Amino acid sequence: MAADAEAIIAGLGGADNIIEVEPCITRLRTEVHDASKVDQAALKAAGAHGVMAAGNVVQVVVGPEADTIASDIEDIIG
Amino acid sequence: MTTVLAPIAGAAIGLAAVPDPVFSQAMVGPGTAIDPLREPVEAVAPIDGTIVKLHPHAYVVVGDDGRGVLVHLGIDTVQLKGEGFRLLAAEGDRVGAGQPVVAWDPAAVEAGGRSPVCPVVALDAVAGSVGEVAEGRVSAGDPLFEWS
Repeated sequence: MAADAEAIIAGLGGADNIIEVEPCITRLRTEVHDASKVDQAALKAAGAHGVMAAGNVVQVVVGPEADTIASDIEDIIG
Repeated sequence: MTTVLAPIAGAAIGLAAVPDPVFSQAMVGPGTAIDPLREPVEAVAPIDGTIVKLHPHAYVVVGDDGRGVLVHLGIDTVQLKGEGFRLLAAEGDRVGAGQPVVAWDPAAVEAGGRSPVCPVVALDAVAGSVGEVAEGRVSAGDPLFEWS
């Protein structure tokens, strides 16, 4: 199941909370303004296999469709 | 049953030994990892199929049955932005198991402060479907594990 871009944006605290989304082959490396707004359970419900947070860097493990999902997210948040 | 071949020569050490939780916790699937020989080398396709994702530091080959195998060359190597990696195939190419895909140098990755360990993952495989996992010394093209 491909993870859902809209739901991942919501799980990251919304478009305004996202500074950057960079795809790796297995994950999205994201930087957020406020890590407390990140909802790990929501990200997993959105299709993430796992979430790793360190400070304001949140890695969302989505599998090899990461680059497609990252471009979907960028299209949405502009 | 898919026989997944070692994409590179080295020591098969298991996913749990990989210094990255995405792989050590098998978040994208089961498999194993190879601690490569420290010499310039061509990483090869682990199965027959189509290269559906090709980054300098990682690639995914999907077989005709839809099963995908991920080969990741070193840990955190996305940060190298392709430096030190040379593509020998293109995304969308059909490849045979054992065909070269990316040339790189594990020693250079290690010298840059990163682990050159290479996870080889049966993407989204159910737990228990991967067996006969090789341990210890393997050559490129040797059977690495069976995906039932």
